[in-house]
Amino acid sequence: MMDLDTRNPSDFPVDVILYPGHDKAIRQVLEELAQKCPAQFLLLAGVSGQPIAYEGEKGETNLSALGALLAGDLAASQEIARQTDQYQSYQMILREGRQSTIFLSEAGPFMILFARVDREVPLGWARMLILESCRRLADIASARPDELPSLDLGLHEDKLSSLIGDELDSIWSG
Amino acid sequence: MQINWQLRELNLKIVYYGPALSGKTTNLEQIHSRVDPLHRGELISLKTHEDRTLFFDFLELELGKINGLTPKIHLYTVPGQSYYEASRKLVLRGADGVVFVADSSPEFMHANKVSWNDMNNHLAAHGIALEKLPVVLQCNKQDLVYAVDPQTMKNLLNLYDVNAVPAVAIRGEGVLETLKLITRGVLAHMQQQQQKVAA
Repeated sequence: MMDLDTRNPSDFPVDVILYPGHDKAIRQVLEELAQKCPAQFLLLAGVSGQPIAYEGEKGETNLSALGALLAGDLAASQEIARQTDQYQSYQMILREGRQSTIFLSEAGPFMILFARVDREVPLGWARMLILESCRRLADIASARPDELPSLDLGLHEDKLSSLIGDELDSIWSG
Repeated sequence: MQINWQLRELNLKIVYYGPALSGKTTNLEQIHSRVDPLHRGELISLKTHEDRTLFFDFLELELGKINGLTPKIHLYTVPGQSYYEASRKLVLRGADGVVFVADSSPEFMHANKVSWNDMNNHLAAHGIALEKLPVVLQCNKQDLVYAVDPQTMKNLLNLYDVNAVPAVAIRGEGVLETLKLITRGVLAHMQQQQQKVAA
């Protein structure tokens, strides 16, 4: 049996694991994209909809709700592409608004990148930069860091499930 | 499931599945109305003009820190109408656990069975074996005069190893119990998987 201290999230059956090194690299990619493009707002989410990181003018946007909608939108679009035999990786969805253009793209098998850019930004330029960023993000997420931080998330905690049950009780108003 | 080590967050996806009008959206509405607003987001519903679920409903719960870890539970429903089969399959993607909301009316037993088989097929298409996914059976509408009891429903669905919760979701009865059971099931499953990897 593996020693508790050497366990880490990569030992768990998860879609996305983000280490502190990942977080820094992801934020750097988003910052560069936001500046170069320029993009008004960027959101990186998991394919199941959980927000990972954002950059730019968040405003009143509910990131969790947006993440869930992005996941549904991308999943539906991918399925449409599959059913019409047009699927390929890193496909992009484009929505032209009155003031901004929205891009939605796969960032590898486990993540989605949402980008809102001003309408004045040429579509081809934005598309190229976003795709390049998506590939970089996918590479970052798939790389296991050289050194794993010795941070204990308590995932092996025997009482974790009962503690979460207690938490649910505490937020329930009957 | 998503783990963000930097933010010390654990994100779980739980899907409420079941036949049309069995009470999937009602479960999320009850959770939304009964959970402290500080610990839940908005209830997002993609509905048809007839107020039926078109794609999914979504609700996020954020629990307090446990040993410094913040668990976030993402709840989804699927559209129950048979027409939206493809959408149901998409919503199941990445699910860490499923609540199967069955209608306890005797005349709905066939619809429950069809929906269960439909879910099984979709999970298989995602490469998920049903026996390896935490599932809770919620026997909803137990207030009906001729409601089928949970044990009989388990037998009819051939679900011998699944926890069944009697519920009247519209009154909030059984809703929290269901949520607690599936959440605990998902975490226990995750820990079992981890132990297998580590062994």
